Amino acid sequence: MKYVISSILLVSFVGLLSIQLSGQCNPDSFATACIPKLATGFNFLKSYKVDGEGGAKEKVEYSYVFTKGTQYMINLCANGAATDGIVVTLFDSGRNKVATSKINGQFISAIAYPCNATGIYYIQYTFDGSSGKCGGSALGFKR
Amino acid sequence: MRIVMICLVASILLASCGKSKKPDEQAFLNSLDSAKKGPTIDEEVINSILQQIPSPLEISVLLKESGTKYNFGLLNTPENLSKYNSNYKKALNLGIYGTDLGYTNIYQQNQDGIKYLASIKSLANDLNIGQFFDIETIGRLATNSKNLDSLLLITTQNFNDINHYLQTQGRANLSVLLLTGGWLEAMQITCQVAGKDPKNKELKEKIGEQKIILEQIVLLFSFYKEDENMASLWKDLDELKAAFDKINITYTYKESTMEVVNGVAIIKDNSTTTIDVTDKDIQNITSITNSIRNKIAS
Repeated sequence: MKYVISSILLVSFVGLLSIQLSGQCNPDSFATACIPKLATGFNFLKSYKVDGEGGAKEKVEYSYVFTKGTQYMINLCANGAATDGIVVTLFDSGRNKVATSKINGQFISAIAYPCNATGIYYIQYTFDGSSGKCGGSALGFKR
Repeated sequence: MRIVMICLVASILLASCGKSKKPDEQAFLNSLDSAKKGPTIDEEVINSILQQIPSPLEISVLLKESGTKYNFGLLNTPENLSKYNSNYKKALNLGIYGTDLGYTNIYQQNQDGIKYLASIKSLANDLNIGQFFDIETIGRLATNSKNLDSLLLITTQNFNDINHYLQTQGRANLSVLLLTGGWLEAMQITCQVAGKDPKNKELKEKIGEQKIILEQIVLLFSFYKEDENMASLWKDLDELKAAFDKINITYTYKESTMEVVNGVAIIKDNSTTTIDVTDKDIQNITSITNSIRNKIAS
């Protein structure tokens, strides 16, 4: 019996340890790494941390005023596979979907958005089958 | 049995030392933080509005791309530095000088840009945020026009870091002032240029659409009505908002289309905004903007 209890607790200990390790997220490094990946001609504006806190958060959201006549680029960086299931979706101030990085089931690592309507936009990051739920993103612009 | 006890204690300790706090615990800690700073200021709301304010660099790029000539006379002279004796004025003028530096950078007028570096560093030091402004690197990059991209990148990063730091340190009021100063300076430059080029429809629309940004700035100031200086500036900005209220911005949503080209999702935005702005609106906005900006900078 003593052996069984010890085994269960040991397994719990190892399990918790692995959760702790896998839960470590350093979105700053991903966000910083994303800046030079903006396409040529785009000026850097902001970097965003995308930390799903190990699954505690379903989405991470930021907002920004986009202006007519300016082209914006939002890219994604994550561990392993290009976007690790992180999807960026752009909504206008009325919460209408304007753009997404998941097209026909394909995860795209950057979206280019030539803005035709000035307003507040919501930049929302979600996790679609993401293993790490951790990444970063950069926003750039060009005229 | 000893092994069992060690595992049990270790498991409990690990579980309790989790990186993410439970929502209830976090809410409690947040309430303690907000109680310290007064009930009218919700830092989370303020920070979410602050992050929306666009970079003044966008306007400088627009001016250059539209063929507008560089004009150092439009900017706040770095020699005004000695006039700024309060944190209120220092934060506002740090924002103003930041916009001016961006303007000189975009036009690759590096000699003028260097003049701003010392003033910016001095104001940043006085506000205890000098550690975020890498004057040596910026100065080195500014000496070679081939470094424009790096120069713009590092200055933008430095100002982003400053704003982030201020917000995490419970000094978002300074961040509000910094961003407001930067926005006012960009507005002032745009208005002056538009005044000399009254037929430029794009510039008029650019001024008109600032209505959306000013609404956010005025909202930010409403959180600081207990602060005498900020309340005074709020009143001035409210007067400017009244002038902007005459401008109609009509937004029409139409679903976008997308295609993937070379691994990038290219969006075709089918939504539109129309901005109804008259010459009289521009004159009125220019007059009030100049009055506020000069009050701050002089």
